Amino acid sequence: MKRMKKNRRKRNEVVTAYAFLLPNLVGLTVFVFFPMIYAFYVSLHDWNALSPKVFIGFDNYIEMASDKRWWASVGRTFLFTLIYVPALYCLSLFFAVILNNLKQKYQSIARTMFLLPFAITSVISAVIWMFLYDPRNGVLNQFLSSLGFDKLEFLGSTNQALVSIVAVILWINIGYNMIIFMASIKEIPKDYYEAAKIDGASAWRAFRSITFPLLRGTSTFILIVTMIASFTVFDQIMVMTSGGPASSTEVSVLYIYKQAFEFLNMGYASALAVILFLIIFILSLAQLRLYTKKG
Amino acid sequence: MKLKKSTLTIFAIVCGLLMIAPIYFLVVGAFKTPDTVFDLSLHLSNFTFDNIKQVFSETNIVRAIVNSLIVSVTVTVVAMLIHAMAGYALARLNFPGKTFTFGWIISTLMVPFSVIMIPLYMVVQNLGMANSYLGLIVPMIFNAYGIFLFRQFYLEFPKELEEAAYVEGLSIAGTFFRLVLPLSKPIIVPLTIGFFTANWNNYLWPMIINQKEELNVVQVALANIVGGGYETEWSVMLAAALISAIPTFILFFIVQRHLVEGVKTTGIK
Amino acid sequence: MKLWKKLMTIGFVLTLIVMAGCSSDSDGESGDTVTLTFSDFHSEADQEFFEGLVDEYNKVQDEVKIEYTTTGNLTDYSNTKLPVAFANNEGPDIFMTSPGDFQKYADAGVLADLSPYFKDGVKEDFLPSALEAVTVDDKILALPFELELLGLYYNKTMFEEANLEVPKTWDELLAAAKELTTDEVAGIALPTDKGAYLNFIWYPFLWQNGGSVLNEDGTKSTFNTPEVAEALDIWGSFFQEGAAPSKLQIDPTDIGNLGGGTAAMQIVGTWAIPMLENEYADGDFGLAPIPIPEGGKPATAAGGWKFAVNANSEHVKEAAEFVMWAVGDDKERPLKYVTETKFAYAPRQSVVEEGEEFYDKGLRKVFTEEIYDSAIPEPKFGAEVVDAVGEALQNVMFGGMSGKEAAKIADEKIQSILDSKK
Repeated sequence: MKRMKKNRRKRNEVVTAYAFLLPNLVGLTVFVFFPMIYAFYVSLHDWNALSPKVFIGFDNYIEMASDKRWWASVGRTFLFTLIYVPALYCLSLFFAVILNNLKQKYQSIARTMFLLPFAITSVISAVIWMFLYDPRNGVLNQFLSSLGFDKLEFLGSTNQALVSIVAVILWINIGYNMIIFMASIKEIPKDYYEAAKIDGASAWRAFRSITFPLLRGTSTFILIVTMIASFTVFDQIMVMTSGGPASSTEVSVLYIYKQAFEFLNMGYASALAVILFLIIFILSLAQLRLYTKKG
Repeated sequence: MKLKKSTLTIFAIVCGLLMIAPIYFLVVGAFKTPDTVFDLSLHLSNFTFDNIKQVFSETNIVRAIVNSLIVSVTVTVVAMLIHAMAGYALARLNFPGKTFTFGWIISTLMVPFSVIMIPLYMVVQNLGMANSYLGLIVPMIFNAYGIFLFRQFYLEFPKELEEAAYVEGLSIAGTFFRLVLPLSKPIIVPLTIGFFTANWNNYLWPMIINQKEELNVVQVALANIVGGGYETEWSVMLAAALISAIPTFILFFIVQRHLVEGVKTTGIK
Repeated sequence: MKLWKKLMTIGFVLTLIVMAGCSSDSDGESGDTVTLTFSDFHSEADQEFFEGLVDEYNKVQDEVKIEYTTTGNLTDYSNTKLPVAFANNEGPDIFMTSPGDFQKYADAGVLADLSPYFKDGVKEDFLPSALEAVTVDDKILALPFELELLGLYYNKTMFEEANLEVPKTWDELLAAAKELTTDEVAGIALPTDKGAYLNFIWYPFLWQNGGSVLNEDGTKSTFNTPEVAEALDIWGSFFQEGAAPSKLQIDPTDIGNLGGGTAAMQIVGTWAIPMLENEYADGDFGLAPIPIPEGGKPATAAGGWKFAVNANSEHVKEAAEFVMWAVGDDKERPLKYVTETKFAYAPRQSVVEEGEEFYDKGLRKVFTEEIYDSAIPEPKFGAEVVDAVGEALQNVMFGGMSGKEAAKIADEKIQSILDSKK
């Protein structure tokens, strides 16, 4: 009797699971997965979007192997990710912990201030920062020279442009990731901390032995999602430098966009996108594995 | 201890002020005459409403805001519901093919939008959704980000609550809708902010898929005012950006008040 | 709980609204009227002009109805909206193309041959060079309606204060730019980002020095020459010596750099004149031909958009007839556009003559008398060649390369692009 009930329950569970997933699976298949497969299909063709496709097998992939500009853009994407992801992770977690310790009133004010940049469209935030970064009259340089430092070129320099763009994208996204961390910190029962306090643990110790480990799930989520986002970053770079100066900010998606829509090499661009997808996929998988293994 | 808290408060507020400092430029610039827009000082003599007026007179911005509200709110509400369902199934329920389904869903995050733009247009066109609200709304609902975050949340959701519900004879679906979903506010709030903002600020997709002026969303309408030609009227552009950001600001103020307490601290009692 | 219920209610109501909105959606095809779509990227005054044009055409005849839509950003228009639409066979019947993307549309065969639709004598009325720029295999694939020339705009007051003459040679230009550079003012404002516009502003320097990108029939790269290297070097020296800013606050197409007082000189096109007259009327600005190298010949680039008809349209004839009616028939309509709506030259002799008195007004006189004769239409290279030239410029501007090195690298690149297209 009990077993029958359990079996029915199990069947019920499977049916409910599929029913819950169905709308998403249908939608994602039609609006994301099918276009992805189509992009792969296009990658086996020579296609300029305007005239019929010509099947050329894996020629696009062969061509890619010797495309120095592509591999340089992949290198820049990795560099961008290596700066952006740790910075975003640390800063948003840092401020989440700080804000969490404030009184409700101040916490709410500070949270709103951190979140406001997220409300502004990426194009407009890029424009605002172009003004702040201006080599001659920009606010940042005025500030630097008032402190007696040399002026910086920011977006006009091949060394500083990428980092300057990272700073803008951090500015936009810190607040949002911070509130996701905060939502998660709120789930940690307060008595854990009280117990730690009684044991005489310092704040840093409490963070290391309670907060940080309990946030591991959220951390993995943020790290994976941020990594994917940084591999597909586009808008702000397009507006601020369109890949310049002298290609120093030409990341992979920018190059794919150029191949696709400026040169109209749709087939080749799709092949590049397929490879970029594989790179991101492998990295995400590795991160997920790392997470489940430890757990 | 008391002193430490006030130091933290001051530090957080100062950092917050630095965060919003660049927005000062946007707000001040929107009320300046075109030739003084780069002057960051607050001279009242340069103060003008002309930029705002121009935005309102050159396009049917009210209609565009209504369109954007329809699109963003619908996408957000529908997405919250079905993503929560999917996230719950992936976190809590056992079924064959679970790991594969999860991996497959996450993989859809990894494609740059510019690559699938052409086939997506094709799909939407063939479904007869081009030039309609459906074309603006439906493709934007499906996004693995929300599913992923809901799953994460439900993995850490206290099991005891659901077990109590089962004992009382509720079905799995019933438990989810009556008990779990209402307690998911801590994650629905940030996701609402994220989805609404992303859709409110979406420009590329509505620009491509819609040709009808009466269905223009805010970002497209504003781009039509300030774009084109060889001159950019910065003052008008900043005014347009400010107008477009205000509804999002308002949403932030409304919903983030709900971002206060966690499930474990309120739910169990 | 309450929040959730509220959201659900809102969502439900909105879904109903959406459904209602969709059901009233019907196609406006009625009777024998042919409906044509016309899509471009104009805004403000230009948009009004084209809207007016379409309205008028819809009134004066009843066989064709034209629907006009505009995308308010020309990069999005030509790099996103049109390719996506064409890739799905949804391209507009009538659209606009620039020298920067003319070649790719021509190669793909989506540009209809307009030559059969010229009225008597109109073809001869067009400037030969302007039509040549849109002709492939004796087919006229687009119809130009504006010629925008480049000139050197400068701030007279700043020149007087520094006691400087208006530069006539490259060396004088560089010297003046350096002299006029201060903490607040840039000597000369030039485009900094890679793109068709950067090349467009540089081409006069190239041509003045006798250089070219490709040979006559477009089969071979001619980029690896001393002439090209010198033209790259002078351009690079503006940036390397700090006379041109590495990044501009305002778009390089926008005369606001000069007008707002942040630059002493700026190379811009004819379109800047109305803006200078209206927005910056207080300032004292001058205009001169772009300086030439020692022993070089004057040259300027002539750009501008062109009307095109979709070759895959079901109604090529009707679309072509509209285009001809708009800018290839009477003189009033095209003249109104290039004189009242904006300032440019018409590519038709009779229209320029009709507007004679207008072309002598203010700074326009400099264009008409000193610059017009040296105009060469912007070349219609493929986008990859444009990119390779842009790369060479970026390399001398920011990459610390000499003109010679940059020219050599670009030459190889261009040749390989040409070879792969065969």
